[in-house]
Amino acid sequence: MSYIEIRGLCKKFGDNVILDHVDLDIEKGEVVAIIGPSGTGKSTLLRCLNLLETPEGGTIKVDGREYDLTTKDGKVKRNLRRESSMVFQQFNLIKHKNSLQNVEEGLRVVKRLGKDEARKKALAELENVGMADRLYHFPKHLSGGQQQRVAIARALAMEPNLLLMDEPTSALDPELVGEVLLTIRKAAKAGNTTLLVTHEMNFVKSVANKIIFLENGKVVACGTPKEIFGYPSNERLKEFLAKIHMLEGAEYNI
Amino acid sequence: MKLFDIKLVFSQIPTILSALPITIELTIIATLIGYLLGLVLALVKIHKTPVLRQIAVAYISIIRGTPILVQLYITYYGIPLMLKHHNLTYGTNYNINAIPAIVFAIIALGLNQSAFDAEVIRASIQSVDKGQVEAAKTLGMSGGQILRRVILPQAVVVALPSLGNSLISLIKGTSLAFTVAVVDLTAEGRILAGRNFRYFEVYCSLAIIYWVITVVLENMFKILENKFSIPDQPPVIAPEKVSGGVVK
Repeated sequence: MSYIEIRGLCKKFGDNVILDHVDLDIEKGEVVAIIGPSGTGKSTLLRCLNLLETPEGGTIKVDGREYDLTTKDGKVKRNLRRESSMVFQQFNLIKHKNSLQNVEEGLRVVKRLGKDEARKKALAELENVGMADRLYHFPKHLSGGQQQRVAIARALAMEPNLLLMDEPTSALDPELVGEVLLTIRKAAKAGNTTLLVTHEMNFVKSVANKIIFLENGKVVACGTPKEIFGYPSNERLKEFLAKIHMLEGAEYNI
Repeated sequence: MKLFDIKLVFSQIPTILSALPITIELTIIATLIGYLLGLVLALVKIHKTPVLRQIAVAYISIIRGTPILVQLYITYYGIPLMLKHHNLTYGTNYNINAIPAIVFAIIALGLNQSAFDAEVIRASIQSVDKGQVEAAKTLGMSGGQILRRVILPQAVVVALPSLGNSLISLIKGTSLAFTVAVVDLTAEGRILAGRNFRYFEVYCSLAIIYWVITVVLENMFKILENKFSIPDQPPVIAPEKVSGGVVK
């Protein structure tokens, strides 16, 4: 039995099938990356796991606790959401709160920690992502990379059983990508079970334990970075990798 | 006898101001009703609650589509009628004459405000970026917590200028309360003029009073706006703390 088991996840938008009975196992401490062409449901998959989208079917088991992803029960929804934390493409920091308050918010309101305890935890997390010098800056005072690092601190402060990252560097200027990737690598090395959607293939290669290639709502290929990038077995995967110049030893026909 | 007694314009202001508490009471209570009911109406419209939403839409349309004077008369004559009907049907014994006139004015003005505020509040709530709401949801916050801690604090900043406007128009709207026998500033002035026939002077005094109140309110809202807005300049970073964006 895996630490996290996703079974039969289905999602449609109208008649459009986005996710078609997706099954996924994640072990504790594993970093799983989802790659694939755009529009294949990578983000939707993540968003179904914390019910930002309501799937048509599917269950998730976290450390033995099973949840029905189609539940309408507000309390079950909130409990499920507390299992995971999400880092968004657009950072989504709360704009009228400064860095410290953004990280403290969930600790105080959801985890019901005391003032001092929440402050201590938030400071430690911000220190970890290298934002300890900008505790009282509001999001609008921060660069994209800095905002994303605060967002990562906010997600990690909740001590999630599963860290969801939805293209965390896609909205950043190229020169700011590095600092965020370093932060994510650090979080991964610290043993956070992570499900990551990204287009940073070199990063995936060096950080992920397992890579999932998703196309048309189905898991087409799944394996270690070596298997996926080194010996891709699937034709579609080869094509995809060739397009993004990642197929090792491939000859390019221009 | 002088044609225009300018000294009287100022000297009678203190006498007229004896009715200021009534105007303030009317304004504050009607504003609170307006904001609270407006918030409820806005939430009903946003969440598209069936039935309630249609009622809210019709209510807002009717209130915004009728003059406030007509609304004052409708509450003034309508509420006693409703109570009479209730007394006759259920054998209750409400004393209609015991209801102070100000209650009718408060209800009419409050309901009127709510319709206008509802639209302002709805627009400002919808202006808050959805991503932040999603982030709050993923933290595990409940709907009420998200509304109170994420949406409303930001919506208020957006709504403040418009809510200030609506409060200013309400202050002046209270001058119609004399039509339902409430002795507010305007009524007090008319009573005064009824004695000395200096109508022009009284209305000049009233104009000054309302204008001063409005200026005070405008400035209060300016101060509030400043208080709620996030400073443009980031706080200064102590030099020894600068990490230069390096992740340790």
